[in-house]
Amino acid sequence: MSTESPGVARHEDKSAFGFLIVASVFFLISGLVALIIAAKLHLPTLLGEVSWLTYGRMRPLHTNGMLFGWLLAADMGLCFYLVPRLCGVRLWSEKLGLATLGLWTFIILGAVVTLSMGINQGLEYAELPLWLDVLVTVAWVLFAVNIFATVAVRRYQQMYVSLWYILASILWTAFVYIVGNFATHFTSGVNQANLNWFYVHNAVGLIFTPLGLGIGYYFIPKAAETPLYSHRLSMIGFWSLAFVYVWTGAHHMLHGPISQWLQTVAILFSVMLMIPVWSLVWNFFATMKGQWHQLKDNVPIKFLMTGTIFYLLTCFQGPMHSLRTVNAIVSKTDWIVGHAHMAVLGAFSFFAIGGAYYALPRMLGTRLHSQSLANASFWLWLVGGLSFFVSLWIGGFLQGLQWNDATIPFIDTVKFMAPFWGVRLMGGLLMFTGILLFFWNVLITYMGRAERPEPAV
Amino acid sequence: MLNKIDKSSALFAAGAVVFFWIGGLLTTLAPPLLDESWAKPAPGLKDYATLAKGGDVHAQMVLKGRAIYVREGCWYCHTQQTRTIEADTIRSGWRDVRSPVSTPDEFVYDQPHMFGTRRVGPDLSRVGGKYDRQWHVAHFRDPRSLVPGSVMPPFPWIANDPAELDAIVAYMQSLGRAKDWRPGHDYEE
Ligand code: HEC
Repeated sequence: MSTESPGVARHEDKSAFGFLIVASVFFLISGLVALIIAAKLHLPTLLGEVSWLTYGRMRPLHTNGMLFGWLLAADMGLCFYLVPRLCGVRLWSEKLGLATLGLWTFIILGAVVTLSMGINQGLEYAELPLWLDVLVTVAWVLFAVNIFATVAVRRYQQMYVSLWYILASILWTAFVYIVGNFATHFTSGVNQANLNWFYVHNAVGLIFTPLGLGIGYYFIPKAAETPLYSHRLSMIGFWSLAFVYVWTGAHHMLHGPISQWLQTVAILFSVMLMIPVWSLVWNFFATMKGQWHQLKDNVPIKFLMTGTIFYLLTCFQGPMHSLRTVNAIVSKTDWIVGHAHMAVLGAFSFFAIGGAYYALPRMLGTRLHSQSLANASFWLWLVGGLSFFVSLWIGGFLQGLQWNDATIPFIDTVKFMAPFWGVRLMGGLLMFTGILLFFWNVLITYMGRAERPEPAV
Repeated sequence: MLNKIDKSSALFAAGAVVFFWIGGLLTTLAPPLLDESWAKPAPGLKDYATLAKGGDVHAQMVLKGRAIYVREGCWYCHTQQTRTIEADTIRSGWRDVRSPVSTPDEFVYDQPHMFGTRRVGPDLSRVGGKYDRQWHVAHFRDPRSLVPGSVMPPFPWIANDPAELDAIVAYMQSLGRAKDWRPGHDYEE
């Protein structure tokens, strides 16, 4: 495994490659679990006699698997790829990287076993037992040491914006994770709920968002072979994200039993999120100016730019449904489920997959096995994703209207969702097929890496 | 200044953390200090954990039922909050009587909290006393037998274990009792 960046450093990429492969395996498994629980909404008795296959135990398996098994692991792998390259040095320690990977794999397997057994702390995204929380913290510290040590000995003094996002997200994650998984043990009731939503919201906003954007900032100019439009704009985006995001957690409890003023604060800051979002999207689009023709046959760019559009849509939706009037309709419905999936599965997974399609062959010193398979996976993802998100928005919105008319029996609003859930399941199937194609492509690329050496740079 | 931060990883890291913690502290530590209602229990609220430690058998059952509720992930499909939305108070209510909205003082002892985010099934914040024991028993065994079209899964491993069944029913009947609002007809009695 080697790539030459002329005159700079020879990258081994063992940790980067390992993380991406482990992430893809968990992607596949979590995707399968996702399909099963989506099918259970049509056939509640499916696998129904077995306690560890019940909806309530598979759902946390699905969310934790997707968030920590797939997306965070993939992001970590891509960080191990791009941070050394942006610093002009090798990764500080491949051994430490591989040890981190071993620990991470153990954590996810531990999560599968404990969650299936019904060992659940009862807090969303913080379901894992304390001993696993401790291991996650250890793994994160190991990851942080490796990245920070690489940055500390960098050859290029100025730090490209991707490094900013990645370093900051490592620091923020540490705090966010501690609040969500340790501080919650010392609180109860509304106080605990507030910490829980702080964590849930910032897990997406201050872990996956900055990591995903850092990845986007690196791979979009790289894959399109064009310079970033504006460094200054990226700084505005960064600092406004750093300041604004953290205030918004309480918007998960609008109209709920939590102080009115805190709800209002959360709404105000949710609306302000438009600033970092627009500055980023503007920057990415301006970077692509004159390069849009590449969308035709550059698969990484297809994923990265579609991810950008999903990011824009998610982050437009977020402030909208934080407004009290809209929230009264869509809160607790499938609209929110559609929103969450577009953020994690649409925006940030698209960034990660785009990055992976670009980076994996380069790590192996080869070319991707099949561009057309990769292209097919893109279309499966796009069509599957859109039908998934849009059906849940429409269904969720209409269901919310029905809930607000108390003369409609609740069960009628459940039956009403069946066709929307059906389209969602179909969309999920398409996306799952996309994962399979991705996985197959990577596998064949790996096996045939010697026969297809990278064209000379 | 910005230029300097651009080049020094230490300055940069300090800036990012400080920025983050302004909002971080003001939204996590400050609110419970500013709003006392978060920690002051409602007059009718039972502290089941203390009661259970004192040997109260019913309290022990309620807590066991709550643990089952957490274990089986009921909270992924059910919320426990009657919001300040008119339809919520009607749906949580009883015939023509509207239920009071949920307030922080009703949840002071909840650990973990069970407010929930998603309503695949109806809100359960006032379900205590809505149905009798028999209904719940049949419902856990096969929800569709009582409510055709339900997507709630059956829970045979609970329904076939008398201790667990008693516990989860006791927990259901305890919900929403901190406010004495259910009029006349209460199926628990
Ligand atoms: C897949 C989602 C799902 C899960 C998991 C689930 N439920 Fe339900 N639940 C529903 C739906 C849908 C209904 C409405 C139809 C019905 O009454 O069966 C419902 C109804 C109920 C009701 C009747 C509420 C009323 O006011 O009529 C109770 C009580 C209840 N569930 C308790 C539980 C408990 C306890 C658990 C966990 C052991 C649980 N549910 C798990 C979906 C779910």
